[in-house]
Amino acid sequence: MDYSCVFPQQLDKNNSRNTSDAVKMALSISTLSLLILLPHALTSTSHLAVISPQDPALPIGSSLTVLCAVSAELGLAASSLYWTLNGRRLARSTYTVLSPTELSVTLHRLNGSQQQSGDNLVCHSDNGDVLAGSCIYVGMPPEKPDNLSCWSRNTKDLSCRWSPGGQGETYISTKYILKYKLRWYGKEKECQDYNVGQPYTCYIPRDLAIFTPYEIWVEASNQLGSATSDVIILDILDVVTTDPPPDVHVTRLGELDDQLSVRWASPPALKDFLFQAKYQIRYRLEDSAEWKVVDDVGNQTSCRLAGLKPGTVYFVQVRCNPVGIYGSKKTGIWSDWSHPTAASTPNSKRLQTGSCDPKSEEHNSTLRQELKQFFGWVRKHTYGCTNVSIKLYDQWRVWLQKAHKTRNLVLQSGKS
Amino acid sequence: MLLLAAMVGCVQVEDRAVTLSNERNSIERTYELTKYLDHQLKEIKDTYLLYLGPPFSDPDFSPPRPNISSLAVPSAATRVDLWRGLENGARLAQNQRAYSVLLCAVRELARSTLCPYLQSSLLHFCSGLSGLLGSISGLMNALGVATDGHAPLTTPALSPRPALNDFTRKVEGFWVLRELQSWLWRSAKDFTRLKKRLRTFHNGAGHKPV
Repeated sequence: MDYSCVFPQQLDKNNSRNTSDAVKMALSISTLSLLILLPHALTSTSHLAVISPQDPALPIGSSLTVLCAVSAELGLAASSLYWTLNGRRLARSTYTVLSPTELSVTLHRLNGSQQQSGDNLVCHSDNGDVLAGSCIYVGMPPEKPDNLSCWSRNTKDLSCRWSPGGQGETYISTKYILKYKLRWYGKEKECQDYNVGQPYTCYIPRDLAIFTPYEIWVEASNQLGSATSDVIILDILDVVTTDPPPDVHVTRLGELDDQLSVRWASPPALKDFLFQAKYQIRYRLEDSAEWKVVDDVGNQTSCRLAGLKPGTVYFVQVRCNPVGIYGSKKTGIWSDWSHPTAASTPNSKRLQTGSCDPKSEEHNSTLRQELKQFFGWVRKHTYGCTNVSIKLYDQWRVWLQKAHKTRNLVLQSGKS
Repeated sequence: MLLLAAMVGCVQVEDRAVTLSNERNSIERTYELTKYLDHQLKEIKDTYLLYLGPPFSDPDFSPPRPNISSLAVPSAATRVDLWRGLENGARLAQNQRAYSVLLCAVRELARSTLCPYLQSSLLHFCSGLSGLLGSISGLMNALGVATDGHAPLTTPALSPRPALNDFTRKVEGFWVLRELQSWLWRSAKDFTRLKKRLRTFHNGAGHKPV
């Protein structure tokens, strides 16, 4: 990626007249400028002072002596200057005046850099102005990257992940390059798309061969050294994963109050490949965090869950493993779980409130008598309530039952 | 006859009104974009200053402004009477020149940033800036002002970019973001003024704008 920029030059002659007018105006504005938006900014010449060394890189615990040579024109004495490191003033006892215009500072037992862009060591004049600065990089060479693993989505691509090795913190910018090559053909390639979502990952989107193993490794390097991981050898077909199964439906099985039927489709991306999919289902109660896993689903695309609680909402998920793809002997890699699908088992018969129960009949008739009396009183003593009667009450009960039924249907259709 | 003339006059004024209304809408949208970028810049600037580390992240820090081509922007700061008197075309041209230079400078900043999250934030911001430049060019076209087009990005540089040391590069980055902030503040005022001037022009054709 090249972002080399070019800056406004003399414009072509078509615009030259407008340009010169504009330039004149710009010049006049800048020469007459009174700053209304910014505090006064000091425009400096390029070298007030020179620091050496510039941008050194050192291991943790090292010592370093840095020199600030101030320009003679400034008329500043070296003894009046001072140093700061990351904004904190350094003790005068660490300074040495080498000449009227040169002041050095010695730093001992340096800690790892505070920020990856480097520690800021700055030489100041006595009134605090910045004369010059140097970025110091204190860190460690990288350790050998490990735990390198890769997986392919539908045999099309390859994603790899590794750990940085050791403590994982080098304090300075460390570059990781994932390299790969076909085992028996020499040409080495580099992965380009790093940190897609997570650090220490890389993604190879295309041009991958199958039926031939790859050698894959990671090279880490920074200003203080480099390290290479162990090489892993793999065949793309042995590390295939796929998308979660689509169209997961969970439905009731008639009146059975302790069972649910789960149906799904096999992942379409692999439909042209010869493989035997393995599936796994997991389910849990709506308000529980504990999943139950059904492992022996085999390669069917339906399953019946039994031993469930009646009248309860369950969340169900399914995932797929493309086993034996193109005759590969290895077990593949499980896909992600499908989006949770919810369904509820029917209410147990015993708990259903129906009008066939003799006990409730009795209770009902007392209630109805009282309601009749109440409605009669309401009609006599209030305005505008002439329609209130026991008939209205019965209509309301019917409406209530219908509303309950619709709610259950919605749950049954397995909306996730 | 008079009635006919009045009607024709009416239609003409209406056409002009529609055109000016379109331009005012464009200015309003450009103004909104400026405010949005200003808001985005605040967040990026804070993160960037943390990335540079102290003393850059200290509140009162102000290193000397480097005298280099990537900071060769027209100054956002200007005398009040000169700013008020700027003709519409010149006002837009100043904005265009400033953002052309600053867009390049921010791209370079993004390229040399070691932190991947910050780098992608800066690049995302660049596309916003690029959009702003496009809006300004569009406004200049609509108002019949000669634009620079894409000349700033295709003409060769005066001299090859000098090799900077890392500290100087940090100071440069600090100032690029500061200039950008000043210009976004200034542009908001520029576009508000432009809107006012177009409204005045529409209400009384030939009337000298305040």
